[in-house]
Amino acid sequence: MARVSTHQLLQLEKTCGSLLYELQIIWDEVGESDDERDKMLLELEQECLEVYRRKVDQANRCRAQLRQAIADSEAELASICSSIGEPPVHTRQSNQGAGSLKEELKSIAPQLDEMRKKKEERLHQFLEVIKQIRKISLDISPTDCNPSKLAVDESDLSTKKLEDLYRQLESLQKEKCDRLNQVMEYLSALNALCSILGVDFIATIREIHPSLDGSEISKSVSNATIESLAAAIRRLREIKIERMQKVIPQNENVFRFCYSLETDVYVWQLQDLASTMLELWNLMDTPIEEQRLFQNVTSNIAASEEEITEPDTLSLDFLNYVEAEVLRLEELKISMMKELVLKKKTELEELRRRAHLVADAENDTEFVINAIESGAIDASSALEQIEAQISTVKDDAFSRKEILERVEKWLIACEEEAWLEEYNRDENRYNAGRGAHLSLKRAEKARALVNKIPAMVETLVAKITQWEQERSTGFIYDGVRLLSMLEEYTIVRQEKEQERKRQRDQKKLQGQLIAEQEALYGSKPSPSKPQSAKKVANRRLSLGGALLHPSKADYPHSAKPVRVAKRTDDLGTFSPSACHPVKKLSYNAHQEVGVPARKPFAPLVPVNSIPPTPSKVNSIPSTPLKANNIPSTPSKPITSAYGENRTPNTMLAAAAPTPKTPTTVPVPMHVATTPASTCYFNSEAVVAKVAVAQVEETEYSFEERRLSLYLSR
Amino acid sequence: MSAATLPPAGGRELSRPPSDGISNLRFSNHSDLLLVSSWDRTLRLYDAGANALKGEFAHADPVLDCCFHDDSSGFSAGADGRVRRFVFASGKEDILGRHDSPVRCVEYSYAAGQVITGSWDKTLKCWDPRGSGGPDRALVGTYPLPERVYSLSLVGYRLVVATAGRHVNVYDLRNMSQPEQRRESSLKYQTRCVRCYPNGTGYALSSIEGRVAMEFFDLSEAAQAKKYAFKCHRKSEAGRDTVYPVNAIAFHPIYGTFATGGCDGYVNVWDGNNKKRLYQYSKYPTSIAALSFSRDGRLLAIASSYTFEEGDTPHEPDAIFVRNVNEVEVKPKPKALPAPPH
Repeated sequence: MARVSTHQLLQLEKTCGSLLYELQIIWDEVGESDDERDKMLLELEQECLEVYRRKVDQANRCRAQLRQAIADSEAELASICSSIGEPPVHTRQSNQGAGSLKEELKSIAPQLDEMRKKKEERLHQFLEVIKQIRKISLDISPTDCNPSKLAVDESDLSTKKLEDLYRQLESLQKEKCDRLNQVMEYLSALNALCSILGVDFIATIREIHPSLDGSEISKSVSNATIESLAAAIRRLREIKIERMQKVIPQNENVFRFCYSLETDVYVWQLQDLASTMLELWNLMDTPIEEQRLFQNVTSNIAASEEEITEPDTLSLDFLNYVEAEVLRLEELKISMMKELVLKKKTELEELRRRAHLVADAENDTEFVINAIESGAIDASSALEQIEAQISTVKDDAFSRKEILERVEKWLIACEEEAWLEEYNRDENRYNAGRGAHLSLKRAEKARALVNKIPAMVETLVAKITQWEQERSTGFIYDGVRLLSMLEEYTIVRQEKEQERKRQRDQKKLQGQLIAEQEALYGSKPSPSKPQSAKKVANRRLSLGGALLHPSKADYPHSAKPVRVAKRTDDLGTFSPSACHPVKKLSYNAHQEVGVPARKPFAPLVPVNSIPPTPSKVNSIPSTPLKANNIPSTPSKPITSAYGENRTPNTMLAAAAPTPKTPTTVPVPMHVATTPASTCYFNSEAVVAKVAVAQVEETEYSFEERRLSLYLSR
Repeated sequence: MSAATLPPAGGRELSRPPSDGISNLRFSNHSDLLLVSSWDRTLRLYDAGANALKGEFAHADPVLDCCFHDDSSGFSAGADGRVRRFVFASGKEDILGRHDSPVRCVEYSYAAGQVITGSWDKTLKCWDPRGSGGPDRALVGTYPLPERVYSLSLVGYRLVVATAGRHVNVYDLRNMSQPEQRRESSLKYQTRCVRCYPNGTGYALSSIEGRVAMEFFDLSEAAQAKKYAFKCHRKSEAGRDTVYPVNAIAFHPIYGTFATGGCDGYVNVWDGNNKKRLYQYSKYPTSIAALSFSRDGRLLAIASSYTFEEGDTPHEPDAIFVRNVNEVEVKPKPKALPAPPH
């Protein structure tokens, strides 16, 4: 190049010389003056110089620019280095070693590029870290996050700073992790509580933060979330403790279970319920199977709050369920207490009955029961009360025992006395009949007993008087003073003695009269035996009634009823009419062959038979019924059987279907001896029929027939 | 005799009676509440004092018997074989369990705290009413009987069971494995009703053939010598005898006398010790199906209701009468003393 430029310069010099020469020729031709020529030449020289100067200036400027660029680059390099935090030393060295400015610049440029790239990368790293930090900070506390704090400071991109940031990020990540753990912990605690209390877990946590329900991967870990979680746990735990124990803060948000009993309000909690339940079980011996259902309840009776972990043990449903059971047990207890009181009451009554004591107030125990029902008094105290009464009655009974035994003997003796008198009045007593020898024996014993009565009464009176003196109170027997009873008995007995004496005198007198008359007119039938006799009052008072004034009704033939009863006895035992209804009352599915159908309980038609004691039955011809023309048994209407022995008043009462006044005189029962002796069938046909009936027919009650008809409809 | 003329003589008639046959009625042990079971498939609770229907409990089938648990609940025996417990206030119904056949009788023992039921399936079952809630949780035991149960009665721990075939078994509720006594009815015909004496010494048993037997638990010769039977609820007109079943026996809780009710529509009151009839009430429109004295013996409830003795025939409407009992009607009278002669 240098050669080319030299060549060009040479050519330029040639051209300049030729041009000068040409100029000289022109000038010669023109004839210019030398002055003119010199001037022209000077001008030319000046112009050339001017051009040179300009070029030098230009070159100079260019150099300055280059230097500037190098300086700039160096400065930038230095600043980058400083911002990155690297030592800028090596640029100076290269500067010294380099040749021309352009080379120098060229050597700096790649360094600069490299450094720029480095810085770029560094910046990118910063941005990345800061972004993460910001994100985590936001997660932790959305409100506290300050964006300005987290802007990138370009002047300081040193690795140290970066490391700082990394550390910060790391700590934040750790915190987030911790928080997440805490949240998970809270969630599991909450879950446990919810399951114990029977509260919907998912709904509860959704309420706190929607991200917590597990459907999302990242869960909220903000301060607010954690706080509300903690609050929820606290709240549930409070509820739990409260349901568990008796402590009741008067807070409306807290669930309470009220059981109203009259005016008081009881709040039932689990341990309360459990202890009540245990008590009731103990009281009532509830079977183990029944207890087992509630074992989990009672096992929690002494548990602390942490120990109750089983799901649903404190849910509302479960508490209600347990409460219902307790209420049921309570009810049961009340009814059992009532029963117990009733049982004791019966025991008391039985004791009183045995001791022939009369209760002070008839309705006292009844009142107690009413009071228990209305809740006025506690059943147990009522029980105590009755127990106390029982013990006093027992004491009384003990002190009365000896006298009562004697009274019993006396009463038995009186009964025998009464029997003996009736027996003595029986004119046929010596007839050889059924059981006559037994009656004779009994009469013998009775006489011995009757002779002892006065002594018995005497000792009894002595004993009673002693007893009464000891206790300064009257001896009451079934509401009546025993002494007065005995006195009355003694009076009656004396009257009776006198009566007997009078009768003996009268008989003697009559005997004399008859003897006189016989002497005059010959023999005559002896007059009827005097029949009036006095019965000893039979005070069977153990039925609890007050002493009745002896009835003074007078029966002219007072000895007869015994005989009649005996007769009816036979009727009931042997009367074939009693046998007859076997056919009538057995309900057979098919009609009996040869016998017309008959409805149950149609008038009775007796079957033929021979009465075993015909002499004793007044035979009344019975009307044949329908086609069944069988000779009838002698049957005797009840009223007619007794009519002759009744006063008109009695007969009316017995015969009238609707007595307007109570029958003051009791009607004797139509007694048959039991066991009823076997039926006597004389007709073989009847026997056969009955046998058939017994084999083929199944017996059915009215209800069974009615139900089968009901079901067939 | 028409029902219209009855009220003064027959007692107050309760309003809203069951619409079909009355199977049983019982007074409460604590109040004047009256429990009534009926063939119209209901169990009814009346307040006899106030003449008010306090509750009505529907069943799927006829109700054959009922009894009180306490004043707030009772038991029913159903023709469907089920034993139910009702809480009157709430109408809550528990099924204690069931028999294989209709349940004829139900009794509640205060002494044992058990319900005893007798059924046509020839068994006796004891139930613990506290165990209700689960089927057969309440069952205490099942005891076989020779025949279908027709009547039950309790006194203290004694249980008397009368069945078809004239069997009578006596149990001790504390040992149900074996009957204490196995007897045959002294009467020759089907047993209608059995009731224990309130003093616990024996029982009265009635048959379809107008007769009642008075029996004693004590098997000694002296005690057995006291037993007897007597005829009642019979009519004798123009030489024809008509005998009527004796459907009901009810003992007076205080005097120990008893009332009997028969298909003749009469109620008689008897003194078993003195062998006397104390009183006869005026005739009721139709058969006497059931009787019950109130706890103090001041009221007598009488179910006048056709008992199907003549099959499905037209009959008078069913009615419940509650009458005030006069002391003179039920109080035993000592044997009359003859007046001294003059």
